[in-house]
Amino acid sequence: MDEIVVALLCCLVLALAARRLSLPPVPFYIIAGVIAGNYGLTALRTGGIAEYFSHLGLIFLLFYSGLEFRPQRFLSRGSSFVTSGVLDLAVNLAIGFFGALALGFSPFQAFVVGAAFLDTSSAIAVASLIENRKLASRESETIVWLLIFEDLVMVFLIFFVSTDVGNPFFLLAKIAAVVLLIFVAVRLLSRQIAAVVQRDDDLPALFTVTAVLAAIAVAAALGIPEAVPVIVLGSALSRTNPAAFERIVTPFKDVFLVVFFFFFGTTINLLGEISIVLILAVSLLAIAAKAIGGLAIGRALHHSTAAGIEIGANTVAHGEFAIALAAIYGSGLVSSTVAAMVIITSILGVFTARYSASLAALIRPRP
Amino acid sequence: MSERSVELPGIGTKFELETENGDKVAIVFMNSGRNQIYIIEKGRDNPAAAELNAKEARRLGSILSGAIIEAEREAVEIAFSALSDLRIRVHTYVIPKKLAGRSIADLRIRTESGATIVAVSRKNVNVISPDPSHVFQEGDIVVAIGESDQLKAFETRILGP
Repeated sequence: MDEIVVALLCCLVLALAARRLSLPPVPFYIIAGVIAGNYGLTALRTGGIAEYFSHLGLIFLLFYSGLEFRPQRFLSRGSSFVTSGVLDLAVNLAIGFFGALALGFSPFQAFVVGAAFLDTSSAIAVASLIENRKLASRESETIVWLLIFEDLVMVFLIFFVSTDVGNPFFLLAKIAAVVLLIFVAVRLLSRQIAAVVQRDDDLPALFTVTAVLAAIAVAAALGIPEAVPVIVLGSALSRTNPAAFERIVTPFKDVFLVVFFFFFGTTINLLGEISIVLILAVSLLAIAAKAIGGLAIGRALHHSTAAGIEIGANTVAHGEFAIALAAIYGSGLVSSTVAAMVIITSILGVFTARYSASLAALIRPRP
Repeated sequence: MSERSVELPGIGTKFELETENGDKVAIVFMNSGRNQIYIIEKGRDNPAAAELNAKEARRLGSILSGAIIEAEREAVEIAFSALSDLRIRVHTYVIPKKLAGRSIADLRIRTESGATIVAVSRKNVNVISPDPSHVFQEGDIVVAIGESDQLKAFETRILGP
């Protein structure tokens, strides 16, 4: 029980310090976890509450992403949504996969790396756009919607990669049944749910948390991957009042994710399978992938290299999903390498976003 | 003049207005309650930006819609686009010592000046549409509405020199 208090206290201090310095806190949570776990500052054990909270962090993240899956919004964006998303996906997956293969990873691990390359940190990108006051430009619109596309891809990846065990047909049947059940139940109860969620008391939060935990329980009982009912629940509930659910779930997601990052850090064995060269190579590849992807999108959608540089500069920072994917599906080496890449790119990403104009000037000097 | 609005997921909504002149103004209403305004001059690339909180945005909005701000004590003039000849002035005043203990009816504010008291604020407790029997205390802030000459009359005849 003490470990979690130590971890949270640490993270609280780090969050305050990071905000002061205008830096994202997530890399620091991980670093703190690495230090605490490795150098035995305190003998931090995983298991028990810490592990449960970390798990819930991922679950609420998945639920939150499910809430974002509202097809109607994408239709209003039209083809640009799909074009930018597909370019982003293709470039990052390709560079990540082939780069990782070249560096000696197995095909599945290389795929995990490629998928991790895709994930831009929505939190950092959005915060940078607001802070640097970039919202007037068309590129900022492209960036913000690109983040949504990436979240969807991440969700699909987790959804499908987690369903490839055992007897596929029976599993798919169970999954289909659960998906149908959730959508129908939410549809039938939509008025009651909308009423509950508008209330000022404890009911909205209680309802949401209970629903999410129930989804996990159903998954465990039926032997289907947890990601499935949780994401589907998010998507179904997003048809009632997405803004309210986002508001309710955010505090839980934030706190539990912090625990996840810290304890994920403790699993990284610095003295074990770590190669600085590998980390640097992967990080450089990740940055290059975002730069190239950004350029491609900028030229395709805005017919401007400057726009492309802007998009690339604002999407360098990688995020939580990359770490989640690596933690769940990656080997120890992939997990640590991706975590290091995320730490490096998320800090670097803050600066590339801030100084994107200077970067553009460097790359294409204007007369 | 052309207009567009765009949802920015995770941030809020952006409204863009391009003026006849070719300048562009963009306003972003953020979910956090804060707002950003961008102005892009015609022919330029880089916008100037300002960030406003909700109160500042409302204030700017009321100025842009035609209200006038006076230097001393706060006043606002409201014009409705459908009733362009109708101009109502809304003005706040502080009740001086000499009016303490007297009521609205007693002072015959409406009869004497034509202005109407629509709200009284005392130590952050607000009474809207006060009764004519409402008794003033020194230091109360009242909100009076009327035409400019009615408010002038209120200032000279009721509040006194």
